[in-house]
Amino acid sequence: MTGVGSARTVTVLKDLEFTHVVSIPDGESRHLFAALTDDPEITVISPTREGEGLAIAAGLWVGGCKPLVLLQNTGLMEAGDALRGCGIGPSIPLMLLVGWRGYPGTLAGRLPIDSAYPFTVPLLDAWEVPHWRLMSDEDLPVLAEMDRVASTSSKPAAVVFGHAFLP
Amino acid sequence: MTIERMDLFRSLAAHRGDEIVIMTMSATLQWPLVSQHPLDFDFLAFGMGHASDFGLGLALARPERKTIVLKGDGGLLMSLGSLVTLGRYGPPNLLVLLLENRSYEMTGGQPLAPGVDFAKLAQGAGVSKVETIEFLEDFETALPRLLSEPGPRFVILPVTNSEPLPPVSHTDHAGRVRDLRHALGVM
Repeated sequence: MTGVGSARTVTVLKDLEFTHVVSIPDGESRHLFAALTDDPEITVISPTREGEGLAIAAGLWVGGCKPLVLLQNTGLMEAGDALRGCGIGPSIPLMLLVGWRGYPGTLAGRLPIDSAYPFTVPLLDAWEVPHWRLMSDEDLPVLAEMDRVASTSSKPAAVVFGHAFLP
Repeated sequence: MTIERMDLFRSLAAHRGDEIVIMTMSATLQWPLVSQHPLDFDFLAFGMGHASDFGLGLALARPERKTIVLKGDGGLLMSLGSLVTLGRYGPPNLLVLLLENRSYEMTGGQPLAPGVDFAKLAQGAGVSKVETIEFLEDFETALPRLLSEPGPRFVILPVTNSEPLPPVSHTDHAGRVRDLRHALGVM
């Protein structure tokens, strides 16, 4: 089965001591979003747009919290100026869990290819944001690797997930 | 009915205690003329329109002290959804002061879309404590209340400016962040 278990992901995020998840719900992350919302140890904040969410996360981090931003690749594209201004420029280690819209369809050979798909990885590379892939439960340790690299470099880092989170 | 912006800043600086003050755009040029406080934070170039979003995150993280955001109406128009988030998640220690000059001052004074009612926008977005203050005397009278009573609070301040703007200071962004975290005692 493809996809990552939501409950296991929440456990990993709690082990890594994330305090907040800033996220606008989307189809691929809806089960994870629900699991996070149900968990009393992590506070979920839903902004109205992703750039707004990155700025909120930056404020949380400056104030001593540890936020994760859960967003779709389309939202990452919208949030470019906030990623630059609130993360890359001021060396704020924003951590991003990015839904790779278009990945499953492209993998299955469906046409037309979702235009969000091909730009996702090149965009992260262009911003010099290190990134890892999360495709199954076995990949969950990449979240700790993202945390380690973001913390030591004090720069944004991302994990890209290709399939919808499982209930 | 407008307030001269530097008079407003002088008054706020005189009443301000240990609150965090986040400023952006024109305020970054003039607030430092009246305040050099370790809890001042220059948000210029950190993300267009997002000063109050950053302030919301900071206020949530630091509930023990008030966070004040000085932002302009042009910046607010860049992120109007922020008002909805302020209404939904804004904590009691957040005070947003909207410096309403009806123009994009930093880029030459181009006019904003006319007829926008920022008080109605904020109220309609779910912000319960919204007020407009049009005279300096009223602002000075309100300040002790604004600084002490719980929010989140959104205050519209129609302003003019007759004083020359100092040049933009391009200080190190990462250094600004380090300094604020140090002032807050965040390691």
